[in-house]
Amino acid sequence: MPRYLVERDFADGLHIPVNADGAKACRAMVDTYLHDGVTWVHSYVSTEGNRKSFCIYDGPSPEAIRRVAAKTNMPVNKITEVRVLDPYFYR
Amino acid sequence: MPAMALLERERFLDALDACRADAAAGLGRIALVTGEAGIGKTSLLREFARRLESAAQRPRVLWGSCEALFTPHPLAPLYDIARQIGGDLPALIADAERRDVVFNAAIEALARGARPTVAIIEDAHWADEATLDLIKFLGRRLERLGILLVISYRDDEVNPRHPLCSVVGDLPATLVRRVPLEPLSAAAVASLVDAAAGRAAGDAARLHEITGGNPFFVTEALAAAEDDVPPTVRDAVIARMARLSEAARAIVDLAALVPGRIEGWLLAAVTPCPPDAIQECLAIGMVMHEDGSLAFRHELARRAADEQVPAPQGRALHARILAALRRHGGIPATRLVHHADLAGDSAAVLEFAPAAAARAIALRSHREAAAHFATALRHADALPAAERAALFEGLAYECYLTEQIAEAIAARKEALALRRAAGDALKEGDNLRWLSRLSWFDGNKAASDDYARAAIACLSALPPGRELAMAYSNCAQLYMLAGDAQAALDWGGRAIALAERLGEIEILSHALNNVGSVRLDEADGGGRADLERSLRLALEHGLEEHAARAYTNLASTAVRHYQLERAARHLAEGIAYSEAHDLDSWRRYMTAFRAQHHLQCGDWTAAAADADSILRHSRAAAISRIPSLVTLALVRARRGDPGIDQLLDEAWALALPTGELQRIGPVACARAEAAWLRGRPETALADLRIADALAPQQPDAWIIGDIRVWLVRCGAEGDDAGAAPPFAREIAGDWRGAAAAWAAIGAPYAEALALLGGDEAALRRALEICERLGAAALAFVARRRLRASGVRGVARGAQERTRRNPQGLTTSELKVLALLVEGRRNAEIARRLFVSEKTVGHHVSAILGKLAVRSRGEAAAAAMRLGLAGARTGAVLGAEK
Repeated sequence: MPRYLVERDFADGLHIPVNADGAKACRAMVDTYLHDGVTWVHSYVSTEGNRKSFCIYDGPSPEAIRRVAAKTNMPVNKITEVRVLDPYFYR
Repeated sequence: MPAMALLERERFLDALDACRADAAAGLGRIALVTGEAGIGKTSLLREFARRLESAAQRPRVLWGSCEALFTPHPLAPLYDIARQIGGDLPALIADAERRDVVFNAAIEALARGARPTVAIIEDAHWADEATLDLIKFLGRRLERLGILLVISYRDDEVNPRHPLCSVVGDLPATLVRRVPLEPLSAAAVASLVDAAAGRAAGDAARLHEITGGNPFFVTEALAAAEDDVPPTVRDAVIARMARLSEAARAIVDLAALVPGRIEGWLLAAVTPCPPDAIQECLAIGMVMHEDGSLAFRHELARRAADEQVPAPQGRALHARILAALRRHGGIPATRLVHHADLAGDSAAVLEFAPAAAARAIALRSHREAAAHFATALRHADALPAAERAALFEGLAYECYLTEQIAEAIAARKEALALRRAAGDALKEGDNLRWLSRLSWFDGNKAASDDYARAAIACLSALPPGRELAMAYSNCAQLYMLAGDAQAALDWGGRAIALAERLGEIEILSHALNNVGSVRLDEADGGGRADLERSLRLALEHGLEEHAARAYTNLASTAVRHYQLERAARHLAEGIAYSEAHDLDSWRRYMTAFRAQHHLQCGDWTAAAADADSILRHSRAAAISRIPSLVTLALVRARRGDPGIDQLLDEAWALALPTGELQRIGPVACARAEAAWLRGRPETALADLRIADALAPQQPDAWIIGDIRVWLVRCGAEGDDAGAAPPFAREIAGDWRGAAAAWAAIGAPYAEALALLGGDEAALRRALEICERLGAAALAFVARRRLRASGVRGVARGAQERTRRNPQGLTTSELKVLALLVEGRRNAEIARRLFVSEKTVGHHVSAILGKLAVRSRGEAAAAAMRLGLAGARTGAVLGAEK
């Protein structure tokens, strides 16, 4: 299954509280994504104002990534298909 | 042997019961119970049915089994089910001349009875073609009937080319639940060993290893009571039978030759059945049913026993079975053919095979019909030439219908030689015409042309009849497909004249279709009238294939010529017609055109969904795959998404061998667009030139215009002669006229592309369109051009602005939402905002509605995602779980 890096811009920053509600929000998103065969691996969020996120997903196609984004009202700025490069593999 | 408790099957039973509950609630469900032979599919279903008997709301359970005959009886499982439903259904099915009557009666009977109904079709890997169609038919109509359809099959025997595979792929995904059975664990095998006294504990691990946890193998191995574990399930079965008395052995041998189960009367008619011999058979695991029929516990055991019967003895036994069946009467021809063939009784095969084939044809079990003709031909050496030729012609036609083109050609050649030798010029000419059509399917254009000419030469020497009319129309079709308009119109005209004189509606419909398609491509208004007449004739006379073909040609021409409304209408009608008549390949072909149509209209999500539904289908033909691949690739390229090249490479590889402009042109243009968006237009020129070279033979103004405009955009010279108006204008440098033409057509992306050639205002307009469509890649080009022309401060786009509050929440609602995000209750929010609790309640429901969520938690999550929350709690995504 291909892996995608999805860049998202949040004009006012992304905010998820570190509490039960935040956990629930993430869990709900994970479940919605899984329903369409997309696995949310993890994300990186820009430290400055939480305005940009870089999210890694395993999914069947870019269309599936866009479908789940629309379902959860997440912006999609760019989708790039990526694969892992492990710098220590070359040691 | 006593029935054993099922081990490790509770969760599968739970899954089936959940399906049953859904069906009881009025939903349709299809449960697919899969696993290798001997994994316990039947045992699981028996246990499921047993538990249903004691259920509070006891469902009606109906069983149907597919047979392991070489050529299965069409709709065998439906006959089983009809007998259980009773009433006049069995007679209706047996006497029906048309399959749709049978199918409609079946679904009515299923819907009429108790709710829920559980209908089980076992061993679908052996299903005949009509049964597979029945599964599809039921699957599509199950939704509100409160029926659970259970289908079991050996998934390891169903490869992607197996016909069941595409049937399963076509079932509505929302209704399907999969129940894949797994082998027994080592612990479960150990507990079975414990239960079977007399085995050392050490055996359990070895038994588990050799059997792979296959429950049937485990049971047989334990019952074989050998010193060591038998190496295969077959050895285990044979070991059990080795201890039988002569009388019991005779019964086993006989039963082994009758797939499914052997009736009591048949058994008694062929061999003596003393009660103690029957007891012996039951002791080795055979089963006696209530109706007195005897069966092996598993088809694996029957096969093993069958292999043990020496060939001469087997032939003699089959002959005796056949004699008993004939004496009994009322036996389906399929079953008689099976035993006649294995008995080597050619006269009987030739007596029954044509009837079996005719029944299969009536029920549209064409794969089985072809098999019956092939069986007959193996026994037909002594037949007169004309009769053999007729069998070959029957075989050829059934192979053609089931897309076995090479076999169909071989059979036609045999028939041709026989007809020629007998001096039957009419049939010779008809076989030549068929060979022309088949050769085209086979991708052999040269042979197709030769046969077409030979057919006309042969038939012209005879008084004009339907064969000649069909040969004319075949020629018209070949020239139409090759883009030779004049020749197509010429032959088509002769076909129409002759067909009208003969009153041959089907040929007339076919010929009008060819002529109409050619005239439409030539932008001749009369073409549509021809096609619509062809369609009307086909609809009036129930000529389903011709109707579907007319819809397809009407729709595809409208799509190619950007007649968006007309295309939408033809596609909707054509797809609905194909669905209602289960014309799957036509439905897929038109769905691929609909994908293209959605793309033209700017509905990319719908375009991608249609394309994906075709591409996911393993049996979609190249002509359906090509437009689907192109459409999906363009959606991705325009959005700036990855995964474009593999799609376009496949499309190119599929399109090139067709040599047809209508397939090659769009792929070349898509490759050009993708390369151009990537900023490397020069790499696309070679492909565009290949497509452009086909233009003189196949002058379609819209395809040619598309090719030429991409040549220009990619930096080459482009000629506007022969290009459709919007393209011609852009090629001539009139971007304004081109954009206006596209706007009038209603094709926004094409309009934006044309605007890119314009001034600052045009570029800004293009940018607006791109942002509305989500055309990130083209927006990037537009911004670059704006900046290059000296415009400063090009906005990053409307997306950013509208996304801040696209749901249009009011200020008060935003305030309430901010507090919701902090996890405040209504009372607290009311206090903070100085409003009543009731008002807060109203605001909360309005927020839930606008954000399309169901709970406060979901609303809070949505608010955070959308950046709507005023409060900042500081955590970041993924920092903490």
